[in-house]
Amino acid sequence: MSPAPSAEKPLAGLEEIKKNYPASSAALMPALYEARRQFGWLSPEALSAVADALNLPKAAVRSTASFYGMFNQGKTGRHLVRICTNVACMVLGAGSVLEKLEARYGLTPGGTSRDGRFSLAVTECIGACDKGPAMLVDDDMHTDLTGERITEVLERYE
Amino acid sequence: MMTLTINGRKVELEAPVTILEAAKRNGIDIPTLCHHPALELWGGCRMCLVEVEKMPRLQTACTVRVADGMAVRTETPRVVAARKAILEFLLINHPLECPTCDKAGICALQDLTVRYGAVAGRFEEGKRVFPEVVDDPVIVRNMKRCIMCTRCVRMCDGVQGASAIGVIEKGARSHIEPFSGGRYNCEYCGNCLAVCPVGAIMSKLHRYTYRPWQMEKTVKTICSFCGVGCTLRLEVRDESIKRVSAEFGDGVNNGLLCGRGRFGYEYVDSPERLKTPMIRRDGRLERATWDEALDYAAGRLLEIKKENGGGAIGGIAGGRATNEEIYLFQKLLRAGFGSNNIDSIARLGLLPAQKILEDIFGQGAVANLISGIPRSEAVLVVASDPTRTNPVMGLEVRAAARAGRKVIAIGHIDGLRRHRTRRLEAKTGPGQETMIMAGLLSELLKIKPLSGENPEFEEAIKAWGKTLPGPDEVEKATGVSALLISGTAADLKDVSTSSIIAGRELASSMDIRTNMMMLAALGYILNSRIFLISEHPNEQGLIEMGCSPEMLPGERPVDVRTFREKCEQAWGAGINPEAGLTLMEMIEQAGASIKALYVMGEDPAFGLPSRGRVKEALGRLDFLIVQDIFMTGTAAMADVVFPALAWSEKDGTYTNLEKRIQRLKKAVIKEGIEDWRILAEIGKRAGLPSRYRGVADIFREIAQVSPIHAGLGFESIEEGGVLWPYKGKPLSVSSSPSSAAGRFPGSGKAVSISPPPDRNVLKLVLDKPLLHSGTLSTHSDALMDLTGGPEARLCPETGGKLGIADGDAVKVSTGEGQISLRARLESGLPEDALFISNDFREAGAFELFGYQLEPESKTPVLTVQNLKVERL
Ligand code: SF4
Ligand code: SF4
Ligand code: SF4
Ligand code: FES
Ligand code: FES
Repeated sequence: MSPAPSAEKPLAGLEEIKKNYPASSAALMPALYEARRQFGWLSPEALSAVADALNLPKAAVRSTASFYGMFNQGKTGRHLVRICTNVACMVLGAGSVLEKLEARYGLTPGGTSRDGRFSLAVTECIGACDKGPAMLVDDDMHTDLTGERITEVLERYE
Repeated sequence: MMTLTINGRKVELEAPVTILEAAKRNGIDIPTLCHHPALELWGGCRMCLVEVEKMPRLQTACTVRVADGMAVRTETPRVVAARKAILEFLLINHPLECPTCDKAGICALQDLTVRYGAVAGRFEEGKRVFPEVVDDPVIVRNMKRCIMCTRCVRMCDGVQGASAIGVIEKGARSHIEPFSGGRYNCEYCGNCLAVCPVGAIMSKLHRYTYRPWQMEKTVKTICSFCGVGCTLRLEVRDESIKRVSAEFGDGVNNGLLCGRGRFGYEYVDSPERLKTPMIRRDGRLERATWDEALDYAAGRLLEIKKENGGGAIGGIAGGRATNEEIYLFQKLLRAGFGSNNIDSIARLGLLPAQKILEDIFGQGAVANLISGIPRSEAVLVVASDPTRTNPVMGLEVRAAARAGRKVIAIGHIDGLRRHRTRRLEAKTGPGQETMIMAGLLSELLKIKPLSGENPEFEEAIKAWGKTLPGPDEVEKATGVSALLISGTAADLKDVSTSSIIAGRELASSMDIRTNMMMLAALGYILNSRIFLISEHPNEQGLIEMGCSPEMLPGERPVDVRTFREKCEQAWGAGINPEAGLTLMEMIEQAGASIKALYVMGEDPAFGLPSRGRVKEALGRLDFLIVQDIFMTGTAAMADVVFPALAWSEKDGTYTNLEKRIQRLKKAVIKEGIEDWRILAEIGKRAGLPSRYRGVADIFREIAQVSPIHAGLGFESIEEGGVLWPYKGKPLSVSSSPSSAAGRFPGSGKAVSISPPPDRNVLKLVLDKPLLHSGTLSTHSDALMDLTGGPEARLCPETGGKLGIADGDAVKVSTGEGQISLRARLESGLPEDALFISNDFREAGAFELFGYQLEPESKTPVLTVQNLKVERL
């Protein structure tokens, strides 16, 4: 994943997205998703590119992006792991999952593994409370985690 | 009609205003935090909660409108408890650092806490911590003090239209920030800090030096940076301006300001201010007493008059002088020294443009109210960028765009780029507005029914319109699509009121007459108010006070005997019946027919095109007097230098671009004598008796001499100023319909429009930075910090072609001269243009521009030869 849009790898596909919405401000959320998908995080350059493409003020784009936890504006490792720590998941054992991540990969919330493979974030409820503990790796949902299962799942991500 | 019972009192209301408004009208104070009269309603802070009978919950007075029969109580125990609770919540997170906060004393949160006594908190929460951001040149951000009222954001977004800041993050982490997270890099109007109710966003200029209760006085005066004429409040302590502000409801600006007005005042206290008169002795300027300098100046001028006649003396005035000073200046030259060689920077565009329009529509053609702009159905902005040159007027254009009016930008208008406008911008680069206007006009004449108000005029413009290039031709020449032009015309078809804003670019052109006639024709067809952008605060005054070779005060032609006689009687001296030399003609004649120049508040060696040649010309003079506040380039060449006062140090009047006469009020004066006294003293020595005790007396004389000002008293100019028509008589040039029509050339006579420039050739464009206006602002540290220095702006594509990167040092040269400055790459600029401003002494555009005089108006039209740009 490239760190930020550049002349060689510009942010693409926003024209298509814009077509689906009556006003460019309505296209902001999908455009931010798209930018995050392409670059893994929303760098200032990516936010600027979104603002330019949609002809919206840059400050407004950053304001919207910063409201949503999933629009991460910090650089991450190759994969972003989000562990839910809301009530249901916590009760079902999210704590031990976190412990395992620290023991196995040296990951603490907000941190990145030394090899740059994973970054860890804790997140609010991701809507899988019945199958907790739950996590997202990039955009994939994984549920019913245990200390063992989590390494098994993560090993699938290079 | 509706009835409202408020705190037991019955009141009648015409319209359903908000409870807050109704209460205010009846003298009842409801506290607010997020509400501001200039901003969109929000209802977020809940400070204004009131009890409304039959409504179970408390209501926000700032958003709920009165309904007939409503009963409201504003200060019940329940209401008080709610307000106290809100304050308690706000204070959980508030740092309570009032002793070191500049806002203390005028802080809404502090005042309300005192009022409701929410002094004991019951919550144990950590305080929010945000580092204070001080790395911005003029704005300090202290987000731990923020109460999230969003007033700043609504101001920046919804009024200023800069949309530079936003709420970042959420919950307790939310705070206000610009995109960068650090410096604002915005328009620096400071309107955000003006509406912040607490000390979260503040001006850096008075950090730790301003305590509101220690201010000795507050003076309401007029801004001296441009022709809008915003009302300012200067707060003074220890003979120094501590803070500049404006309040909602103040003046034409209604409380808004731009960065120049708000942050540009520091030059007044600059150590470089001139303090004593100076006389050149043995080639060096040396201090002299006032009497020495006055005697010497008057004596030399009289000698030169005796030897060569009055025609050997000339005068040039700047646009920051007051009406009273300008009046005395031209009187001194005309009556004291028998010369009509008097001109000013208004010659660079405003005067000739206005004259052509007045010739068609009569005096007052441009006397229109800025506040009417957002109410017009359509707004045409042509060539000049009001958001840069007259920023607060620019806000009205943005307001029009926001309100869904049809805003049409003809040419490259930076400040409207992100606003809802229809943009007619030539692909061939800047300077093609004449052509585009022609296309629009010819199309409009075809499709828009005319009012029939002035049939003769209509015939004339119709015949003239037939000779104009149509949309197809315009497309070929400029690249603006014919469809866009005809679409725009169709869009304007049903418009019944409009505003047109145009500036110097159209006037400083070989096509000036064509341009103005097109403006007039468009103005007639679209029923427009016309506004001419005015760069200097009293440029209009220069025109009205007779500071031009061909016009006496009141804009009366000098070659008409009756007008002259009126002045002669009042002045007790004869006036030369022949019009004098214009601005550039005086410079060109320096050393030849012009032997002496008196320059007041202007720096020709810097502010006129072809600097090199102008300096040479000034060097050829036998005698040069300069009256200025700084040692300008021209002053350094002078034989006598008089120190002038700054705008905050004098009384008098300014006339803004709406033709509104406003009072300038003295706030503080450290040393020096008033500029008018200098003129009067020289006058005395030249045999002009002076009985003035103050500026009011001068104004009285103006009212006596100038027919348009007749009957106006200085004291009668109250807040808000005096609007056109003043009490006197306008000049009746063309009040009859046929004479207006007569100003248009007969049918069949083709319109001459200069050919479009070659698209592949780089063009030099005179830039107008938002935060500077002439050298004055370069003596204000804050404004200097914001821009840093001279810049050449160009688009990244052109930069790429020339091998120039952002921030590179470049050398720009033309046949006139060369300068070195920094390159600034900015996307969105026209591809073939290099923008350089003339606001910096070291590297000003007038070092590069030559000029050619437009034969009729004698306006210098900028020319460029052999433009070269190299990386250093
Ligand atoms: S100074 Fe003006 S442009 Fe800048 S953030 Fe404040 S309101 Fe917006
Ligand atoms: S910075 Fe001031 S104006 Fe802006 S939200 Fe905070 S308290 Fe309100
Ligand atoms: S718009 Fe003009 S008059 Fe108003 S504050 Fe700015 S410079 Fe001063
Ligand atoms: S609480 Fe974890 S998914 Fe809902
Ligand atoms: S003032 Fe009414 S809700 Fe803030």
